[in-house]
Amino acid sequence: MNTSLQVDSPTPFRSALEARGVSRRQFVKFCGLMASTLALPHRYAHAISKAMEQVKRPVLVWLEFQDCTGNSESMLRSGSPNVGDIVIEMLSWEYHEVIMAGSGQHASDALERVVRECAGEYICVVEGSIPMAENGVYCTIGGRTALDIARQVCANAAVNIAIGACAWDGGIVSASPNPTGAVGLQEAVPGIKNLINLGGCPHNPVNTAAVLVHYLTFHELPALDQYRRPLFAYGNVIHDQCERRAHYDAGRYVQEWGDEGARKGWCLYKMGCKGPEATYNCPTVRWNEGTSWPVKAGHGCIACASHRFWDTKSPFYDRLPTVPGFGVDVKAEDIGWTATAVIAGATALQVGANMVRDRLKPPPADSDTHEPTNTSA
Amino acid sequence: MKHTQLTADAAPWRQPAPNQVRLYVWEWPIRISHWVMVLTIVSLSITGYYMHSPYFLAIGHTAYVMGTIRFVHLLSAFAFSFAILLRMVWFFFGNRWVRISQYIPTTRNRWKGMKAIAKFYTFVAWSPVAYIGHNPLAGAAYAVIYLMAIVEILTGFALYSQILGSHLLTVLIGWLPRLIDIQWLREIHFLIMFGFGMFFIHHLYTAILVSIEEHSGLMDSIFSGYKFVPQDHLKKELAEAPETK
Repeated sequence: MNTSLQVDSPTPFRSALEARGVSRRQFVKFCGLMASTLALPHRYAHAISKAMEQVKRPVLVWLEFQDCTGNSESMLRSGSPNVGDIVIEMLSWEYHEVIMAGSGQHASDALERVVRECAGEYICVVEGSIPMAENGVYCTIGGRTALDIARQVCANAAVNIAIGACAWDGGIVSASPNPTGAVGLQEAVPGIKNLINLGGCPHNPVNTAAVLVHYLTFHELPALDQYRRPLFAYGNVIHDQCERRAHYDAGRYVQEWGDEGARKGWCLYKMGCKGPEATYNCPTVRWNEGTSWPVKAGHGCIACASHRFWDTKSPFYDRLPTVPGFGVDVKAEDIGWTATAVIAGATALQVGANMVRDRLKPPPADSDTHEPTNTSA
Repeated sequence: MKHTQLTADAAPWRQPAPNQVRLYVWEWPIRISHWVMVLTIVSLSITGYYMHSPYFLAIGHTAYVMGTIRFVHLLSAFAFSFAILLRMVWFFFGNRWVRISQYIPTTRNRWKGMKAIAKFYTFVAWSPVAYIGHNPLAGAAYAVIYLMAIVEILTGFALYSQILGSHLLTVLIGWLPRLIDIQWLREIHFLIMFGFGMFFIHHLYTAILVSIEEHSGLMDSIFSGYKFVPQDHLKKELAEAPETK
């Protein structure tokens, strides 16, 4: 631990944190957590804490469209040392419907003011999908469609953070048959600048905090993948980080819920766990102060941080998708075995029929006198 | 053409009948790739099915069942890929009986032949039409099988690239999971296994059947490379489609 952390004089930021009940020690632990989440060497914890103390509280607006507020909830109930408290204190949250005091016209005015006065400087967080069908009438706030708000607010933001599955790719709202024509932010606002997607249902607040911290410390976004998701969070397969992986390699699997294997914490592969095809840092960052995560709690991963996971990763309790054109209960396996059995049966029939044919008209008996039987074709 | 170099004192079973020639049809890369494919498809199916649905559980604390099975699957996959690659090369550099023209029917004659063979298999015609290489129907079936093998290799390596994290492999195959979701690649990879199973059943049946009907030593030929072919038949095929080689 760098000793310089303990000796410097209190800054307004730190006083504000203390007023919130976040001690110095908790703040330093938070900086360490951020550095390790970002996969940075330990010494960066110091750089982060310094940057956080000097940061000039940039303005943040949090837009909510078609969603369940799960990402706001996840952010606000993110445990203690309260990641939410620190993040709220280091930024000036000017607009967030769930937690802001103002309502109605006052709230709309607050958003208008940010867009007008802080254009090109504020951070815009978007939660929820944006409906495109019927000119976006399926989600309106204060008489304006989600699409209209997103276009105006996101176009003037310095950074746009699409938070949760819905804001990234439409999430459950855009799952088939997608009645409202819901899409994620990048599809709704083409050419959007400085976008970062934080998929997951919900997002992990530690990752979101880490992205904000990274931006405030280094003034740029972390390294992104092809979906514009940060590699530090979405770069590794869950299966490779899973604490039950040893059971997978050994060959010990839960066969049904509540069996011996389930009680002993064996691998959930046969129960349809999507860990082998999902990427996320869920197993290492975990949830609620690193208490647990779905697989540790005994439920298979549903790949909630994967692209369009409701459509592509379901059924959640089976290894493979159901083959289109067959019933929902028909597994790929059933189709394969049935087809193989049909072929085997047809072949057996042919063998029988050939024996009859050879009896009726035997092939030339002796190869020494063999003539090609049908050279005319 | 290599077919009459046998000396008079060769074993009797290797001697062609008076009006036959002992013809070298399947060159060594064909036979090697054939048998590597057979062995690897069997091992890939057994291990792959376990990887889809582990059909027995490990006993004991030192077990490494899935790990070992995945290792065997990967090893077999590489062997299978090389066998397919070798066979592909011989589509273009092999002799006239194994060239690409034997598989993809491009001439009117091949299409007509396909019809004739189909008539034999559906018991409309009494006797098969003999071909020295593949008959057109079998050739087309093999073309489908090679296509399936290529799909299997591509999907397999796409799945492998996800767990391997190798930059090279990701560059080579990373485009595929972007086009088709990884779960559907898995599904395709799994379903094609049954395609090979179905093919195996029918392939064995037709090989034995044709061997009996044509007296050409077809079953032996995939070991030795030699088929016994009536002299006038060979002349006829050579005259019908003279190979410029």
